[in-house]
Amino acid sequence: MARTLSPRGQLLGLSAPALVFTVVMIAFPFGYTLWLSLQSFTATGMTRFEGLGNYGRMVSDGQFWNGLTVTFYLYFLSLALQLFFGTVLALLLFRAKKLPGIVRSLFISPFMMPPVVAGMMWLVILDPSLGAANFILTSLGLPPSTWLASPGLVVPTLALIDSWQWSPYVALIVLGGLQALPPSVYEAAEIDGASGWKVLWRITLPLLLPTLATATILRSVDLLRFFDLIYITTQGGPANASTTLNIYGFRTGFEFFQLGYASALMVTLSVIVLGAVLILNRMRDAVAW
Amino acid sequence: MSAIASSDRLTAWLNAVLLFFAGCVVMIPTLWMVLSSFKQSFEVTAYPPTLFFTPTLENYVSLSETTPFLHYAFNSMVVTTASTLLGLILGAPAAFVASWTRITWPAVVTLVARMAPGTLFLLPWYVMFRQVDMIGSYWALILTHAVITMPIVIWVLLPFFDNIPRSVYEAAQVDGCSPFRVFWRIALPLVTSGLAVSAILAFVFSWNYFLFALVLSNSDTKTLIAASFNFIGEGSTNWGALMAAATLIALPPLVLAVIVQRWLISGLTLGAVKG
Repeated sequence: MARTLSPRGQLLGLSAPALVFTVVMIAFPFGYTLWLSLQSFTATGMTRFEGLGNYGRMVSDGQFWNGLTVTFYLYFLSLALQLFFGTVLALLLFRAKKLPGIVRSLFISPFMMPPVVAGMMWLVILDPSLGAANFILTSLGLPPSTWLASPGLVVPTLALIDSWQWSPYVALIVLGGLQALPPSVYEAAEIDGASGWKVLWRITLPLLLPTLATATILRSVDLLRFFDLIYITTQGGPANASTTLNIYGFRTGFEFFQLGYASALMVTLSVIVLGAVLILNRMRDAVAW
Repeated sequence: MSAIASSDRLTAWLNAVLLFFAGCVVMIPTLWMVLSSFKQSFEVTAYPPTLFFTPTLENYVSLSETTPFLHYAFNSMVVTTASTLLGLILGAPAAFVASWTRITWPAVVTLVARMAPGTLFLLPWYVMFRQVDMIGSYWALILTHAVITMPIVIWVLLPFFDNIPRSVYEAAQVDGCSPFRVFWRIALPLVTSGLAVSAILAFVFSWNYFLFALVLSNSDTKTLIAASFNFIGEGSTNWGALMAAATLIALPPLVLAVIVQRWLISGLTLGAVKG
């Protein structure tokens, strides 16, 4: 069999299973969702072509705007926290020079555990009446917090939990970037007598921008689609204060069975994620050296 | 000179202290989860929380007695192992071809699965699987989880294949080796460490994935992660059992991650960062 096929045919044969799988499980469903987003469903389960009606409905849907706001609030807050803590942690790790493997394992552990488990764990720690977090706060003489239970605090709390999980991931990426910087730059700065802070602000951080851009892209893809942690801890509450676009789309589809409108919401979210990736990619090219 | 040396020592000391503090912040919540899972039920909700207690396996026992935990664990193993294997079978030859031909756009298409929200695929999949009466079956879960595992395998393996010198392929072709044979006999044995890393990463991400099983499984095929939601409902009265469940669910990915930690970062960033 192999002999009768040309090398070209054989290469195609090797990639065929993956190509078929990609078409059936990824490309076709993607197109199907696009089509669904243009349909409305009648009471009997029949579809009727709606055109852009589902998209028009979003404009006047307060829930959609709430989802969009929550998505971006959570996105920017989490991203800022993770880039900050990640960079600080990377600089600390870089200066420590010799690191036993166990330390690396320790910093990998938060983001390798399922987000669902992180959610279960923090639900118990952040419990308003019996949780350990409020015990620490009150022991320090601070007022206890309601954490996930209050509409005003739920997004910052989710951002904190996610940053606990993913700042070490950003740190390990930035550490890779630090280790790749040419040592000659530091030597030149040292000869010129530049102070530590000056070297950090004027040399290290600017040279790290491409690495930080990479970390931003990788985190953006996940943060804009924030789902697991919210579904486990608050299901979008209290009072929709943590209902991201992804949570809203899921509930519209699988709790209210409005497949057309849910599809339109998910297509919109996909466009947002893809757009963000394209823009951030451009920015990464702009700071490349 | 000695002033500089002592200020260097001071920054090194400060650095170590801050690093230790960061390590505590990272580690303590996880330790708290594990500790709580060994506490007795009256102790786990004690306020103020206790640090010293007589450890008990009570929570683990009650987990296996009052919930089908072992059955869910078995489901998770079936779905995760099968979807990892499927990801390898589909992804490894595809990565080889992409590296050989330098045509990578089909691999880029698979990244759509990484960027689009899971719900976007779940809506059409739900309709598709209902048509063929596969909702609640292992196959529905295995196929959908392979959408997670296959891109991981492709993107982790691609740099490994790229690292094989072209001359190796060319020599093989001169000897009359067909692409099939080059792949099976030459390329694949040269990337065994890549296969191991991609398999472990695929396993971890498939194990951790929540959304697909939440909708596509039934009470018979429910995975541990999807069942977590039920544990929380029951956990409002029994924190100990909830923490025992959380500990056990987190164990397989954590153990595997420690094994491959050295290669993990380049794999996790799809090659964007060399580890």
